[in-house]
Amino acid sequence: LSPSLANRLRIGFAIGFALLTALAVIGVGRFIQKRQDFEDAIARSYQVEIAARVQVAQGTGGRAAGQIVRREANRRQELRDQISDDTRDTAILVAAGLIAGLTGALLLFSGLIASLRRPLEDLVDAAGHLAAGDLSTRVEVGGLSETATLGAAFNEMARQLEMEASHREQLDRLKDEFVLTASHELRSPLTSVQGFAELLMLERETLTPQQVETVEIILDNCNHLVRLLNDLLDLARSDAGRLSVRLRPTELAPLIDEVVRTMRAQTDGSDQALTEAIDPRLPEIEAEADRIRQILVNLITNAHEYSPQGANIEVKARVVGDEVEVSVTDDGPGIPETQLEHIFERFVRGDAGLTQRVGGTGLGLAITKSLVELHGGTIEADSTVGTGSSFRFRLPLGSRA
Amino acid sequence: MKRVLIADDSETILLLMRTRLELAGYTVETASDGQEVIERVVEAEPDLLLLDAMMPRKSGIEALRELRAAGYKTPAVIVSAHQNPGDADAPTDLEIDGFVTKPIDFDRLLSEIAVLTGAEAV
Repeated sequence: LSPSLANRLRIGFAIGFALLTALAVIGVGRFIQKRQDFEDAIARSYQVEIAARVQVAQGTGGRAAGQIVRREANRRQELRDQISDDTRDTAILVAAGLIAGLTGALLLFSGLIASLRRPLEDLVDAAGHLAAGDLSTRVEVGGLSETATLGAAFNEMARQLEMEASHREQLDRLKDEFVLTASHELRSPLTSVQGFAELLMLERETLTPQQVETVEIILDNCNHLVRLLNDLLDLARSDAGRLSVRLRPTELAPLIDEVVRTMRAQTDGSDQALTEAIDPRLPEIEAEADRIRQILVNLITNAHEYSPQGANIEVKARVVGDEVEVSVTDDGPGIPETQLEHIFERFVRGDAGLTQRVGGTGLGLAITKSLVELHGGTIEADSTVGTGSSFRFRLPLGSRA
Repeated sequence: MKRVLIADDSETILLLMRTRLELAGYTVETASDGQEVIERVVEAEPDLLLLDAMMPRKSGIEALRELRAAGYKTPAVIVSAHQNPGDADAPTDLEIDGFVTKPIDFDRLLSEIAVLTGAEAV
C-alpha cells in the first residue's frame, strides 16, 4: 500500500466508524424517548384497569369492564416484551457504537502518528548525514504543516551550511594559490639579492672587514628568506594536497650518516656533540631520500639551534616492531608542556627569548609532520624542562603510504 | 671557450648569471624569451643552454621542446622558480640534462655546467 492510499483508507474507515458512533448516540436518544413513552403507557394502562376494576366492584361496568381488565393486562405484557427487545437492541447498538468510536479514534491517532513519524525519521536521518559532512543533504518538505515547517527550516539550515563551506573552500583555494604565486614571484628578486651578495664575497679580499660582515648579514637573511619560502611552498602544497613523495627502496643508515656528517659543520661551531647510534641491521624502507633528509635536517637543526653551547645531540635509529624509529634527542632547555602540545602546528615556536636568537621559520615542524605522514609514518615529541627534548618519527617497514 | 646561452625574462638575473659564468671562464650569450633562444641556437649553436622554465611568450620548456623536435641535442639545464630543491618535478617526456631551482646554488650549477660542457668536448 502506498502511504497516501493507506492514509485515505484510514480516513475513510475513521469516518465510517464515526458515523456508526453517531448512529449509536441517536439510537440511545430514541431509546430514552421510547422508555419514557413505555412508562407513560404502562401508567395509563394501570389507571384504565383500576377504573375498570372500580366499575366491576361497584357492579356498574358489566361485562365490558371485565374485558378491559384482561385487555390491559395483555397490553402491558406486550409493552414489556417490546421494551425488553428495544433495551437489548439499544445495548447492542451502544456496544457497537463504543467499539466503533474507539476503533475510529485509534485509527485517526495512528494515522496522525504515522504522518508525524515518517518526516521525523527523515529529519533524523538527514541530520545524521549533515553531521557526517554531506552538506548537500535535503529533506522532502510535506505532510502536516508542522513537519513541513520543520523540514523547510532544516533545508534552509543545510543550504546555509553548504554555502559557507563552499565559500570557505574558495578562500582556502585562493590562499593556496596566493602562497604558491607569492613564493614564485619572490624567488626572482631573492635570487638577484643573494647572487650579487655572493658575487661581492667572491672578491672578499678587496672588501674591508666591515663590508664583509655586511655582506654576510645580507646572505644570512637571504638564507632565512629562502628557508621561509621553501617552507611556505611545501605547506601550501601540503594544504592543497599537492605535496607528494616518491617512494623508492632507500637505505636509511647511510642517509642518516650523511646528514649527521653535514650537520656537524654547524654543531661543531657551538661545541655541541652530535652523535649517532644506528642499528647496523636497519633494513631498506620505501621512502624518498630527499624528504627523509629534509626531516632529519629540520629535527637536528632545531636541536642545534635551541640547545646551548656544549650540548649533546644524539641521533638514533632502530627497528621497533614493523617500523623503523628514528629519534633526535638533546639535553637542551626542554619544551614546556603547554608549548609541546602545539609544537607541530605552524608558526608555533619555542620560548620567545630563544627564538629571537634562533631565527627559524616556525614552519619546520609542521612540514616535518606532513612529510612523515606522507611516508605513512608518525611523529611525536616529548620533553622535560631542564633535561632536554626528544623527537621521534616512525616509518613503516612495508609500504603502506 | 665554451659558449653558454642563458635565457631569463629578468635583466637582473641575466646580468647575475652572465657575471658568474664569465668569471668561471665561459662565453655568454643572452636571450629574454623562448623565441630568442630558438633563434640564437639556430644561428650560433651554443655548447650549453641555461633556460628559465617560465618566460613570457615562449617558456624555456617550450623552446627546448621545439629544439629537441628539430634535432638539436645541445645540453640544457632548466632553471625553475616554481619548485623547492627536493621537488624536481621537471617534465619527464623532455630530454633535460640538469634542473636547478631559484635561488640558484651557483657552486652546484657551475660544477654541473663544467661536467656537461666537458662531456660534450670529449
